[in-house]
Amino acid sequence: MERLLAERDRETIVGDLREEYAASILPNLGRLRADSWYLRQALSFVPRFFSERGPTGEILLCVSLVTLACACWLAAMEGLLRHPGYVTRVGVAISIAVISLAVIVVRMLHLEARSERWLWTAAVALIGIGGHAFLRNARAAHFEGFVLLISLIFVLQGLLMLIFLGRSGERESRSLPT
Amino acid sequence: MAELLGTFEQAVLLAVLRLGADAYGRAILNRVHESLQRSVSAGSVYTTLDRLEARGLVFSKLAEGTPTRGGRARRYYNVAVAGMRALSNTHRTLTTMWGGVKLPLQVNP
Repeated sequence: MERLLAERDRETIVGDLREEYAASILPNLGRLRADSWYLRQALSFVPRFFSERGPTGEILLCVSLVTLACACWLAAMEGLLRHPGYVTRVGVAISIAVISLAVIVVRMLHLEARSERWLWTAAVALIGIGGHAFLRNARAAHFEGFVLLISLIFVLQGLLMLIFLGRSGERESRSLPT
Repeated sequence: MAELLGTFEQAVLLAVLRLGADAYGRAILNRVHESLQRSVSAGSVYTTLDRLEARGLVFSKLAEGTPTRGGRARRYYNVAVAGMRALSNTHRTLTTMWGGVKLPLQVNP
């Protein structure tokens, strides 16, 4: 719950909810329904969470979800078809899925500052993988539309991550005492 | 040009006004729920309060927490002068707009 709220509101809003939970919801509804009430209250802050993050953060989150789906699909297809060298490609697809999942978690849990260095590396890696796949596909005898799409999504996610990390760095430097 | 408020903003501002010194988040939410007679999400009320505060229509101050809140502070809201003016302007505009219309409205078949 606290992770969904801006720092300014964490104490007061969580305090309000706890107070109502303890004073009227739990005695009236019982543990199970009271917990469900608390969950509904927490979920009502999700739209606010996204609106506070700014457009780059929102787009990055959406692209990360698409990238995660693409990577899972690639890993599954490579695993099923088992063309030569599939193990490496499954490994790459799983790595991309892990990066995307990590970006989603980082965005949701406000962990940017703590994980910045590896995120920069992951962003560059995504651009590299996407660019490489794009060029190989463009030069290949059989052009694959889905490879073009997925490679562009990877490059887009990498670029968005770089923009986002750059902005985080700016925000951090502005908030540091001089 | 006079600032006009949306229905939800009016409901939140009026709740703050009516609650007076007791206007904190959950009390405002419960009052808005009563006045609109529909379920209202906590997120929408707190977001509206933030927006109203950013526009200078309400102001807030922190008060000490109680044991039932786990010691967490309470944020109390007050309607600012600009908020009173916005409410008055909105009420005047709506009254003018509806002036001369006979209620309940007759629907011609």
